[in-house]
Amino acid sequence: MKSRPLNRRTFLRGFAGAALPLPFLNLMESSAATADGGETPLRFMTLFKPNGVHPPSWNINGGTETDFRMSPLMQPFAKHKEDLIILDNMGDFGFSSHANSTRRFLAGHHQNTKSASVDQLIAERIGGNTPHRSLELTTEGLFPGQIGCSYISYDQKGNPIPRESDPQLIFDRLFRNPMSVPQKRNDMVSLLDRVSDDARSLSRKAGYEDKATLDEYLTVVRETEKRLENLKSVGNNTKIDFSTLERPGRAADMNEQVETMIDLITLALWTDSTRCATYMLGNSNSRMVFDFLGVKEQHHYLSHFFRNFSRENLDGLLKISLWHMEKFDYLLERMKSFKDRDGTLLDNSVVLYGSGMGHSDNHTATRIPIVLAGQGGGRLKTGRYLRYNENQELGRLHLSLLDMFDVKHDSYAGATAPLTGLDGGHFVPYRERKFDSWTKVGNGRVTVQGRLRMSDDLNEAKVFFVDVEGCPPVRVEVEFRDFHHFNLAYHCGTAITMTGDGSDHGGQLVITKVTELKSVFGKKPGTQNG
Amino acid sequence: MALICIWSALPGTLCFGSLRLPTIHFSFLPVLLTFCCPGKPKGFAASSPEPIRPFLEQYCVKCHGGEKVKGKLDFAALLDSGETLEENFELWSSVREVLEFEEMPPEDELQPGDSDRKHFLAWYQEHFVDSVEAKPAFFTPRRLSVNEYRNTLRSLLGFDLELEIFEAEQTVTEKSLVRKLLPTDPPGASGFTNDTHGNPLTTVIWDQYSYLVDRGLDELFSPDRTAERERMLGPQRVGGFTVDAAKKALQVFAARAWRRPVATGELEPFFQSVEEADRDELTSSLKREMKAMLMSPRFFYRGLLAEGTAGKRTKIDPHELAERLSYFLWADMPDEELSRLAESGELAEPAVLKGQIKRLLDDPASRNLAENFAVEWLALDGIEGVSNNPPVSDALVSQPLDFVDYLFREDRPLLELVDSEITFVNVHTAKFYPVDRKQMTAYRKEKGIEVESVPNQRIKIEHNAESRGGILTMPGVLAMNRGPVIRGTWLLERILGVHLGEPPPDVGQVPVNQVGENLSFRELFEKHRANVTCAVCHDKIDPLGFSLQAYDKDGVYLRSKEAIEASRKKTGPVELASLDTTGQLPTGETFADFADMKTILMTTQRRAVVRNLVERTLAYALCRKLEIYDQPTIDEITDRLIEKEGTFRELVHEVVFSLPFRETIFPDANL
Repeated sequence: MKSRPLNRRTFLRGFAGAALPLPFLNLMESSAATADGGETPLRFMTLFKPNGVHPPSWNINGGTETDFRMSPLMQPFAKHKEDLIILDNMGDFGFSSHANSTRRFLAGHHQNTKSASVDQLIAERIGGNTPHRSLELTTEGLFPGQIGCSYISYDQKGNPIPRESDPQLIFDRLFRNPMSVPQKRNDMVSLLDRVSDDARSLSRKAGYEDKATLDEYLTVVRETEKRLENLKSVGNNTKIDFSTLERPGRAADMNEQVETMIDLITLALWTDSTRCATYMLGNSNSRMVFDFLGVKEQHHYLSHFFRNFSRENLDGLLKISLWHMEKFDYLLERMKSFKDRDGTLLDNSVVLYGSGMGHSDNHTATRIPIVLAGQGGGRLKTGRYLRYNENQELGRLHLSLLDMFDVKHDSYAGATAPLTGLDGGHFVPYRERKFDSWTKVGNGRVTVQGRLRMSDDLNEAKVFFVDVEGCPPVRVEVEFRDFHHFNLAYHCGTAITMTGDGSDHGGQLVITKVTELKSVFGKKPGTQNG
Repeated sequence: MALICIWSALPGTLCFGSLRLPTIHFSFLPVLLTFCCPGKPKGFAASSPEPIRPFLEQYCVKCHGGEKVKGKLDFAALLDSGETLEENFELWSSVREVLEFEEMPPEDELQPGDSDRKHFLAWYQEHFVDSVEAKPAFFTPRRLSVNEYRNTLRSLLGFDLELEIFEAEQTVTEKSLVRKLLPTDPPGASGFTNDTHGNPLTTVIWDQYSYLVDRGLDELFSPDRTAERERMLGPQRVGGFTVDAAKKALQVFAARAWRRPVATGELEPFFQSVEEADRDELTSSLKREMKAMLMSPRFFYRGLLAEGTAGKRTKIDPHELAERLSYFLWADMPDEELSRLAESGELAEPAVLKGQIKRLLDDPASRNLAENFAVEWLALDGIEGVSNNPPVSDALVSQPLDFVDYLFREDRPLLELVDSEITFVNVHTAKFYPVDRKQMTAYRKEKGIEVESVPNQRIKIEHNAESRGGILTMPGVLAMNRGPVIRGTWLLERILGVHLGEPPPDVGQVPVNQVGENLSFRELFEKHRANVTCAVCHDKIDPLGFSLQAYDKDGVYLRSKEAIEASRKKTGPVELASLDTTGQLPTGETFADFADMKTILMTTQRRAVVRNLVERTLAYALCRKLEIYDQPTIDEITDRLIEKEGTFRELVHEVVFSLPFRETIFPDANL
């Protein structure tokens, strides 16, 4: 009987949760990293999550650099805490478009349109000797409405780099090209023999026009033969036999598609087929419908959870975000499953995970969710939560990444100093400054000075509180207009003075319309739309 | 009158119309003279321009020959080249035109007398009109276009090769692996991409074919595709293929893939490796042989296996007829019924062929006529650029496609292309039909859906029918052609079938207002046309374009009550008075607005409209540029369709039963 091919779960994951996929076992002895006996290569991997987050579910409030509790949205990858640096106070724009925030994710600034994104600068440095300089991957098609939403990787001229989405196509490019698989070459040689015999037999009885056509055909066949000859003389520079790998089958749903792609990315990194990959879990502004999660609404609609608030909608959004987080977990899990020199693939990688914006409804580009993972071959000191004192330009993170990969750059996207503290060195952590908090009520108006936060209750996503020492927090219930106009999302977690229409409801002060909002320490959201 | 614009005398563009030519710019392109069909078999009506040598030498060669070659037209070289008249029939047609209208020689040169002119015209009439007989073209094989390759592979395997990519609303997603990986076909000399004669096989395409075939066969032999595999290769026994079963499978597969029965002898080389294979290698050996069949020229070229005697004019064999028919109507290989009728020979019987035309047109696959034929003929892919919001551009694009599909499917009269009371709209295009949209079933978005592509609904145009009916005033068509010049050019080329070619390089710009002048756009154009060089084309273009001035850049009809109402609210009353939609065609007809223009198109210009339809359809069906010996066929079909007020299915009939479709001449291998 024709042997039934192992199904892809089996061959890519191994039986019953075995740490290594079965057909890869034969590769174990000869990972490219050890084969050439040189230095262990350092890899760079980026995973992009579209459409920001619901901040109260993502943000870590309180805690210190080493003593902190991961937030509800971080739970899917909480088990990797010791391999992570969770960054906070990243980004410094009041508002941001989908397209701009997407560009900034790897290019630092949306106006940095004439140079390469950071992954490409890194690939330029480390990708030269690998069969594939870099991989640029995604899950969905192009969004022509704002084309920038579809790309995070940009070439040296600042032009977007086309992305691929099909795992089988990527598999074939990595492991089935004639350079890497001699069997493929032999197959083609014998095919060329067969078809040229066939074409010649036709040619014997062909008329004038047919002969011209067959000549054209045979010329291409001969040229292909010549190309293969040349390949042979170049020789095979990899010791790994990829021919035992079986191409993955068609994915049943998006979850399978993404997991298969992550399988391939990690395999590509481990076999040193490439050292740099970027993968978008979706376009920013994505209208994907996650029906395999039981969510029927479009992602972008749900991401505007304030405007389109219902508990059901918010649950849908959180399901999608949790799925994104699970895929990050899956990536880390896979990277840990590959032994690489004395540690794992993750130990010898820098992984960047995150989004382009923070608050998914009003698009603040502050407190953008960004996590670094992996030891980076000792360049990163993980297991920490770094909340910076001030909002950080993304370009500073990118300068740090360039440093890690030994790319010389004095400045990037307007930033001139790298982010401090990633290697365990000194950084200035966020500190709550002392200030007086108080309330004033009268004439249908309430003024309060205190720390603004969103309600923790998922049933009231439109509700904010101002914490005042010694009294119950002042409740703020506002329409989207006020929320957006005064950019409440930006001020969350900071000290403010707020005045508005409101009253005392039996000891509970409530503001229903904001008329004025000032930052106690003078922090203002940028007026520019980033 | 069928004349040529000299500027566009490129090989491969058929140019008809009544165009006055300039006396200054006379720029033949040299390609026409030097690269006429290299290696083309000779031996046909070896007529030459020799009899008019004295005329040419006396009046023309001074400027167009020897050292002085104006407009890159060298009669001296042409006379010595030995090229036949057929090879340059478009060129001679333009020479006739400039002489008939006394545009050449220039005024300050020696003028031929009436008798000389008449002599030339008589020579032309004899050689290019009276003596031209309809005859079929030489048979030429051609490679499948990307679209045909995709459809053929899909029909053969039983499934489409799809890319894994997540489709979300408002994104542009290419799902077809074939379309993604193969280089886009350029339009051939016929103007259609199925004319692949000038589109050679390359090593890049070879590699992609090889990859696509691997992907297709891997999928076919995967457990997911058991049904498709067994349908094609027969039920699979426990224990896999036997040698006999594998050979049988190859035989069946070859006949399908090569689209005709294959003699066992021809399959011997393919059987060999299967016979030699170990039992556990049988499946991979079978796959390898199937790949060899799909990489064989028999698969991805059309016509290499056609039967006929070289040098003789013959009816095409029934399998070739089946292929011509299915690639014409479906852009796909013949299905089993068509192959069976070809095998039995019945297909050549008129009644059977008629029945098959109907069956193929009734099949959903004939939407190809809208999606490929009409899109390329009417350049409808331009509509995609109108909006960067895919649901909106989908709506604008699908409207004319649904309409053309309807014309063929419901066998509507040809002239309904220009005027019809039926159209197809959805929520994104309904605003252009403010009253008639009430016929639509209300569209309700599901919760959480911000925007989505939705299918069109068929409505009857009752309101503003004269300004909205037909394809010419569909919003997408109007919006892809902005401004009177582009709209006029489109109408002239795509509907009236006149080819203008590129403007001469030194044609200059439309003048701008000088100090003290306050001329309207239209007046500035009048000025432009005062220049004789410009007038050649713009006399014909501009009136057509100005008749559409009451439609704004998005295709809104500004004279409708609703548009007037809407603009009053926004910016105050629209200056309707300044909209000038009147004009006169060079052929004399006058019009007040586009409703009049439509009447003109359907009456005095009807022949041009119908003839253009015939030409385009014939060129698409034959997958080649039309030649002089096709002209009698075109004229006959046009006459018949005009006489009986023909329909779209009658047009298909005429084409399928026409001489160039049914007959061919196999070139002699020794020539």
